[in-house]
Amino acid sequence: MLSHKALGLSTALRQAAFAPRTLRNNALLRNTIARRSVQTKTIPAGPAADAILNQQRIKRPSSPHFTIYQPQLTWIGSIANRVTGVGLSVLLYGFSIAYLVAPGTFDSTHVIEVVRDLPEAVKYAGKFILAAPFSFHAINGLRHLAWDTGHFLTVKGAYVTGYLVLGATAVSSVALTLIK
Amino acid sequence: MSTSLLVRSSLPRALAHRAALRSVAVQARANSTVSEHKYVAGGPIPKGGPNDAVTFPPPSPTHGSYHWVFERTLAAALVPLTAAAFVTSGTNYPILDGVLGLSLIAHSHIGFDQCIVDYLHPRKFPILGPASSWTLRAATLAATVGIFQFNTNDIGLTELIAKVWTA
Repeated sequence: MLSHKALGLSTALRQAAFAPRTLRNNALLRNTIARRSVQTKTIPAGPAADAILNQQRIKRPSSPHFTIYQPQLTWIGSIANRVTGVGLSVLLYGFSIAYLVAPGTFDSTHVIEVVRDLPEAVKYAGKFILAAPFSFHAINGLRHLAWDTGHFLTVKGAYVTGYLVLGATAVSSVALTLIK
Repeated sequence: MSTSLLVRSSLPRALAHRAALRSVAVQARANSTVSEHKYVAGGPIPKGGPNDAVTFPPPSPTHGSYHWVFERTLAAALVPLTAAAFVTSGTNYPILDGVLGLSLIAHSHIGFDQCIVDYLHPRKFPILGPASSWTLRAATLAATVGIFQFNTNDIGLTELIAKVWTA
């Protein structure tokens, strides 16, 4: 399939084509716009060529991207939101399914007993390990909802809210841990 | 010179040109074989020729904007629900407890689903992707039944967290 392509200054050509009649016969214009015409032919690649190209694509490495990106509050906060969410959800699903499968072992009296018999230090550590992800995920969730309503959608906004979230998470985690 | 350009750029010829190109592309796609290369971790999944366009899922508001709105509404609703659960107890307000439990499980399901779409997309993982989706749905169903049983036959989610926290 052949196609005629005009190579060169196409914009200039278009402008010249639609210029007023007085300008069109301008010898200067005729000399400044160079125009060549070539014939091109499209040859679609067959399955053999595709096979070679696909083999090359399989072997071709991709340059480092995820491993070299500078740690920043934006994406560290984002992945932390996901990790905390997944962790808390795994806990929720785990307990629910465990209670469904073995209600005798996982009923409230047993769970409370096991927790009560733990040493104090372990209890505080455990409470902090639960409170910190919950606080971060909840407060960062508020940040996400603010973005969804169109607020703080700038670099400065993201950083200011990010640091606020970190501060509020610290305060909240300590406060929750100290609840007796 | 300019008039000849105007004559050359005619609309019917452009349309015929496009139709010819389209038939050639269809021919090329019919001729190209599905690749039988083993998947290399981190590598591409060549399907068809390298010049074939990327396929996109069919646009549907259920999986698009409605899903987005539902996800954000649920997340926003969790804020007052959790706050209320903090100040009351499950035994006094069992319906609040149940609604909180259901909302948390729905929120978790949507979150897990987003992880599957991001890391185990069916386009790249044709077996593991759909398998994970169905496993997630089964787990969500089991967790919902489990939470319901726990709230009905036992003290309930908020009460349990309160008692374990102060044990």
